[in-house]
Amino acid sequence: MTSDKLQLKRASTSALLSLLNLTILPIIGFIALLFLYQKTESNSIDRYYAALGIKTNLWAAVALILVTGSMFLVGGYNSAWTWVYVVSYFVMVHALFILFATWTLTRSWTGQKLKLSLAK
Amino acid sequence: MKYESQGIAKMYFIAALGLFLGQIIFGIIMGMQYVVGDFLFPEIPFNVARMVHTNLLIIWLLFGFMGSAYYLVPEEAERELFSPILAKVMFWVFLGASVLTILGYLLVPYARLAEITMNDLLPTMGREFLEQPTITKIGIVIVALAFVYNIGMTILAGRKTVINVVLLTGIIGLAVFFLFAFYNPHNIVLDKYFWWFVIHLWVEGVWELIMASLLAYVLIKVTGVDREVIEKWLYIIVAMALISGLIGTGHHFFWIGTPDYWQWLGSIFSALEPIPFFMMTLFAFSVVNQRRRDHPNKAAVLWALGTAVMAFLGAGVWGFMHTLAPINYYTHGTQITAAHGHMAFYGAYVMVVLTMISYSMPIMRGKKAANETAQKLEIWAFWLMTLSMVGLTLILTAAGVMQVFLQRFSEDPLPFMVVQDELKNFYWAREITGIGFLSGLFLYLYSFFAKGKEVEFEEEQLD
Ligand code: HEM
Ligand code: HEM
Ligand SMILES: [Fe+2]
Repeated sequence: MTSDKLQLKRASTSALLSLLNLTILPIIGFIALLFLYQKTESNSIDRYYAALGIKTNLWAAVALILVTGSMFLVGGYNSAWTWVYVVSYFVMVHALFILFATWTLTRSWTGQKLKLSLAK
Repeated sequence: MKYESQGIAKMYFIAALGLFLGQIIFGIIMGMQYVVGDFLFPEIPFNVARMVHTNLLIIWLLFGFMGSAYYLVPEEAERELFSPILAKVMFWVFLGASVLTILGYLLVPYARLAEITMNDLLPTMGREFLEQPTITKIGIVIVALAFVYNIGMTILAGRKTVINVVLLTGIIGLAVFFLFAFYNPHNIVLDKYFWWFVIHLWVEGVWELIMASLLAYVLIKVTGVDREVIEKWLYIIVAMALISGLIGTGHHFFWIGTPDYWQWLGSIFSALEPIPFFMMTLFAFSVVNQRRRDHPNKAAVLWALGTAVMAFLGAGVWGFMHTLAPINYYTHGTQITAAHGHMAFYGAYVMVVLTMISYSMPIMRGKKAANETAQKLEIWAFWLMTLSMVGLTLILTAAGVMQVFLQRFSEDPLPFMVVQDELKNFYWAREITGIGFLSGLFLYLYSFFAKGKEVEFEEEQLD
């Protein structure tokens, strides 16, 4: 494999690991992503996607674990309202992270950086 | 339009949109009855409004699927429709039967309707979504068979593509599974068991094939991506839909008196059901990112992407949320179910039909894309309807969690109606999102009549 192709491969693997960490391989996906990051060089497309994946998942950890954790702390486990907020918030925000990571994955397949609009 | 008979789709789409409007109005009536109990009583009791709401939904989606197939199949098969006359006759038969049935619900008490239509001879009435009098059901079968025949003959005589073969498979499945609606055993466990063979195997089985093929067709048209790429995706989506969806029916057999092993089978297989919906999202995102052109019909691209996203949310995420037996034990039959039912039906089937309409309607009216003003309005309508539906779903989810907690989870559970009283504010909020949805729908319908500057484009932006 040429180094170019290798980078593209790593870029899409990073994007995939980011998505996996958000869904069926939590923690394991993140650790693999960290290892992959170490292999990349600065200013390359694979570094870009590995870093993006790490950032996405750190934000997800804050938004999902920390925020819902605090909801339980503030509202208490035994309050209906706590559960109302936790379930609605967690499901929606988790889904948005998954959609974001999915879009990122398909961007990585094009070999270009992330872009959230359709404008050329 | 490459083939003249594709134009038949237009009448199907117009009927679909008319009935859609009716469906939403009855939704709003019911939403009102949830908070003002005797609203429109005794003229329109809740159970009647509910029947009208859900039956209109199914009927207009069927109109939408048929219109879509009549538009898509000639072009894919590269020949005129086998029998345009049959398609037109069946349109009027189906429309007549539908309108009569809905009027029957509204004008005659249900028991009397059963008598008039001689339900005794072959009793099939009285089950959710399948409330139609037996005679209507027979009408539906005739229409469906004529439709399968017409589409099937067109494809057999013409070019067979993965898209039209997958579509045909879905349509045949739709017709075949409907036959379970005629089997109505006395044993209520068996009755429910077979009822789900229609409902579940439709929306989480064969309709997925219809959806995937329609989406694939529009995506090829608007992105110019190679057919081969799209076909590979279709194979995987179809395989995943069937592998997960068939045995996944078990997620409805947890608590209805069926053997315990369904709790395992249903949980495991239905947990895989989000996969085909996720694949559709991945597929749509990826072909849009690899597109070869920017189609002048921006609204259609938005609808296609919206379908992929909202179906994943409504069916995939909101379905998964309550599909494992230990969770469903608490959530079964609560507002969580209604939340999921709304977003899934809207996100998958309503939106895919609107995607097809958005793409094909301008072409049937002699243009490549609607004018700029019309598209702008349509895009606004897209957001208004979609965000209202997200709001409605989130509110019902919140109401559902509250309901589960108070009624089933807490140390001293409250009775059903006491809990419903506690949920009043949620229900008011739901009604507001419902009105938001209706405004979006009005805007959408208006967009077909809006005049404005034609969009400019180059020939290579088109097929
Ligand atoms: C395209 C939009 C819509 C779709 C696809 C849709 C679909 C459905 C479905 C599938 C059901 C049966 C749910 C179940 O069995 O769990 C239902 C029931 C219902 N819908 Fe809709 N609906 C839509 C819009 C609306 C709107 C705008 C309202 C108004 C606020 C509404 C209010 C209701 C109500 C009150 C019920 C009865 C729930 C119950 O029995 O407790 N729907 N709808
Ligand atoms: C577009 C596809 C789908 C549609 C239109 C849809 C629609 C619905 C509707 C209307 C109901 C309520 C039926 C009733 O009792 O009246 C329902 C129930 C249910 N759905 Fe779906 N669904 C879809 C996909 C899924 C998926 C993919 C899953 C699982 C991952 C799922 C899981 C469930 C479960 C567990 C129930 C039973 C809820 C209960 O116990 O009350 N659905 N669905
Ligand atoms: Fe199901």
